[in-house]
Amino acid sequence: MAAAPESVQRVAPAAMRLHIGGQVQGVGFRPFVYQLAQALQLNGWVRNSLGRVEIHVQGRQDALQTFMRRLFEQAPAQARAQLDNCVAALPQDMRGFRIRASVDRGERSIHIPTDLGICSGCQAELEDPGDRRYHYPFINCTQCGPRYTLIRALPYDRVNTTMNSFALCGACAAEYRDPGDRRFHAEPVACPACGPELSFHRAGLPYLRGNSVALAASIEALHAGAIIAVKGIGGYHLMCDARSDRAVRLLRARKHRPDKPLAVLCPAPPMRPLHHASRLVWLSRDEAALLLSPQRPIVLAQQKAGTELSAEIAPGLQEVGIMLPYSPLHHLLLNAFGTALVATSANISGEPVLTENIDVEERLGHVADAFLHHNRSIARPADDPVYRVIADRPRLLRPGRGCAPLELTLPFSLPHPVLAVGAQQKNTIALAWQDRMVISPHIGDMDSARSMAVFSQSVKDLQSLYQEQAMAIICDAHPGYATTRWAAHTGLPVTRVLHHHAHAAVATPNASAESPALVFTWDGTGYGADGTLWGGEALLGYPGHWQRFASLRPFHLPGGERAGHEPWRSAAALCWETGRYWPGLPHNAALLQHAWQNRINAPRTSAAGRLFDAAAALTGLCSVASFEGQGPMRLEAASATDCAALELPLSRDKDGLWISDWAPLLPMLMSESHSISVRGGMFHASLAQVVLRQAQQARGQHGITLVGLCGGVFQNRLLTAQVIARLTEDDFDIAFPEQVPVNDAGLCFGQVIEYGAALARD
Amino acid sequence: MQDTHISLAHGNGGRFMRELIDEIFARHLANPGLDVQADAVPLAVNGSELLFTTDGFTVQPLEFPGGNIGTLAVHGTCNDLAVAGSTPRYLSLNAFIEEGLEIATLDRIIRSLAEAARDSGVQVVAGDTKVLRRGEGGGLYLATTGIGIRHPHHIGINRICSGDVLLVSGPVGDHGIAVMLAREAFGLHGELQSDAASVLPLTRTALDCAGLHFMRDPTRGGLATVCHELQRATGFGITLEQTQIPVRDAVQSVCDMLGYDPLYLACEGRVVAVVSADDADPLLQSWRALPQGEAAAIIGRLSQLHTHVLLKTALGGERILEELEDDPLPRIC
Repeated sequence: MAAAPESVQRVAPAAMRLHIGGQVQGVGFRPFVYQLAQALQLNGWVRNSLGRVEIHVQGRQDALQTFMRRLFEQAPAQARAQLDNCVAALPQDMRGFRIRASVDRGERSIHIPTDLGICSGCQAELEDPGDRRYHYPFINCTQCGPRYTLIRALPYDRVNTTMNSFALCGACAAEYRDPGDRRFHAEPVACPACGPELSFHRAGLPYLRGNSVALAASIEALHAGAIIAVKGIGGYHLMCDARSDRAVRLLRARKHRPDKPLAVLCPAPPMRPLHHASRLVWLSRDEAALLLSPQRPIVLAQQKAGTELSAEIAPGLQEVGIMLPYSPLHHLLLNAFGTALVATSANISGEPVLTENIDVEERLGHVADAFLHHNRSIARPADDPVYRVIADRPRLLRPGRGCAPLELTLPFSLPHPVLAVGAQQKNTIALAWQDRMVISPHIGDMDSARSMAVFSQSVKDLQSLYQEQAMAIICDAHPGYATTRWAAHTGLPVTRVLHHHAHAAVATPNASAESPALVFTWDGTGYGADGTLWGGEALLGYPGHWQRFASLRPFHLPGGERAGHEPWRSAAALCWETGRYWPGLPHNAALLQHAWQNRINAPRTSAAGRLFDAAAALTGLCSVASFEGQGPMRLEAASATDCAALELPLSRDKDGLWISDWAPLLPMLMSESHSISVRGGMFHASLAQVVLRQAQQARGQHGITLVGLCGGVFQNRLLTAQVIARLTEDDFDIAFPEQVPVNDAGLCFGQVIEYGAALARD
Repeated sequence: MQDTHISLAHGNGGRFMRELIDEIFARHLANPGLDVQADAVPLAVNGSELLFTTDGFTVQPLEFPGGNIGTLAVHGTCNDLAVAGSTPRYLSLNAFIEEGLEIATLDRIIRSLAEAARDSGVQVVAGDTKVLRRGEGGGLYLATTGIGIRHPHHIGINRICSGDVLLVSGPVGDHGIAVMLAREAFGLHGELQSDAASVLPLTRTALDCAGLHFMRDPTRGGLATVCHELQRATGFGITLEQTQIPVRDAVQSVCDMLGYDPLYLACEGRVVAVVSADDADPLLQSWRALPQGEAAAIIGRLSQLHTHVLLKTALGGERILEELEDDPLPRIC
């Protein structure tokens, strides 16, 4: 992970003072330094200082050189250390090596550690009947356990975490203080004698307190088909038996979530951690590695046929979200239950995950039969992160626990800290200062009170944790986004960035006047420069300088926002635009057609996402969606992979914009002579061909060779694989984000890039 | 206000209009008697208690199921006086007539205006008529100014307390949908009628209720806009219960089809009352006993715990009801 800069080798005095930045707090870096110095018989000290680690080390020249080398080569697995500064120092009169108290005044360079899935060392102790933490659900060490979700303030010391209320017992205190112990300064260290404990509560019955009794009661309830709300690291899950159609149906009915896929948590015994998961899904090497990574994310993977998983878990889809236990509690639960559990965020649809014992009982009392609580508070929510392997690389779709706060380096340095507030749905926010940027975990859809509350908390938290006060706000240009309205009330200068400009910047943050790009920003709608709803745009240029080069034939969305939930409206619009009869219209659609003709609540759009909706409706797969993206997801799942493309006409409109016309797709999509799978396959292939043709046009006119892809539509792996294959074959270079989500969860990053580029331009 | 020219959104009752009023009218006309928030203002004339208000009417089409611009011109102004806590007495009437308007139409409209005035117990005592060149007016515009006698039970937005309860006197959105369907000539009027009517029976009854703190008629911008006005004036958050808000099935189904939210659509014969929690039930019962209040309901409450206008949904979520902007653009990602 860590890399030693070349300059290191030249410095070899008898005493050195080092400042190590990067991800070095909460990962056991100081104990590692201590042990390394001891082994080399070097004297000095190490301490946490304002987010970095400061080391004074002295002794023999050769030992110092070895120290420098091993410092980076052998750093703890979770550390991402960088040498910020290394100077010769005067040797001091000291014996031995010590770990000194943290320094928390002065200028900071702060890195917040992320929550880490249980390590193998702790897992072994968890299963060892002789260990004092045998089956203890809150076991952790310097290499694993909660961090971001329990830190109240920096520096990262126990008093500044939600573990502050648990006084260490003698044994834990000894480990915590012993530099040779692997729990030396493990801030959340705990054991059954002094740490948090579980409690089980079923409505109307007394609380069952105690780890083993609460666990046993939960397992018994789960076996009986109950739905249990389980408190984890960053929030609660709703869990039930993943094999039981009855339990899953009950959960769906109570949560009013008829179709949206549910994540599945698989047992992962230490010796064969992937054994169970690979019975359920096909796992590529990347997917397997991702599942086992300390992030322990949800990975979307292809379901195998004939497994024990209930068909109700991901109806109409071929993929399922799989996750391995990330905390000791989840290991114990899954090991005792013996097979997979549904584990879906405990929330009201679209809202952030719930974190408080009282809240979850009050708000989800009608969903959960019982609650498995614990008394370690969650300082801030972090939902499970979600990845999907698209075009052979894992892509983050939703940042969350384990990868939050997501740290990125900017290609420029900002003159003042800024806050980017993202978009409206599946939102995240970002704080950026100098050349650094941190993205919050997934917050949710911004139209709910709880989302706004978590949003406000995230705004406050990021600024106070990183000790940077935003001097300006960046928001979307859409006047109706809650985040845009919020920005206007801050009193700070507000910069509005067009939705698709931000998407384009996510794909090619480093494009420049010398090497411009053509970025396809395809999504479900966003506010465009002309006040219409864009979403099928090919933007030419580089951050701060985008021009609309190509788009899709625009059409009017009947019923406005409602079209997002009802794919049949997009289908109707395409048919009405082209004077085509479609038998799939609801019986009373004449009223809507009349309104649509008079342009009443029928905004103009060029969004590719709505074409996918239309195709899902025209093929009969999805007419009304119960969750965002259902139509396109079902279409992708139903489509064949190797179908011929229809060549869609590409021509210039009166403003010189290249427009691809979707009209030839309609008779194909409505034709009964092909199977749905072939029609869906041809639809995907045809749109991939649109990307190629528009890119070729840009190359012909402007010599563009770099093509970027961004926007929610490119979460579709069938489309994206075909787009990339076609472009690669035609010698284009491709920029497709991995670390930053291509959907709106990554928009805040693009907003900051656009802001920085505009500052440089003006 | 960022705009350089007036757009239709400056007249929709939402944020654009509020900013226009604040930044142009209120700024130039500021005086101790002007209250741009109030439906009607008290006039101190020789110690007597009068309320005074004015309103303009530009509805298209001029005639719609359940009313016409004439009945609106009476009810609009009388209802403003009524919800401000008075009994309307006198009206003035200005008519701006476009060249070419059929005289029979004008006659029908003014006849129903006269009937509405009689039913409301007001006299039209002054008037003016102007004719506009063809193309310079929508057939007929009316403006009425009204004077009412203030009820001894004084109500006002400053009397509202945290914990107070919101009632609405009947289904919302009828007028907005009826007029839109008529205007767009959808040929599908069905049973959908405007609710345009006098609210006097409702406000008289409500004024008998000691715990009544405030009333407003949810016209332009609908119930949601009234809630935003209350929120802004009091600083209290408002939580509405979606399942309790009366909406006619026919209105809901047209809204569902066209993608509108009935909470933002105009009513012309409804009252929103803010009462102390203890008096909510008695007022509800008295309203329900009236023909105009059969479908009255307790729909929400004010609270110090937040500063939003929230809609508690049937699924248990709490959706933020935003202030009305221009025609809302989809926010689907």
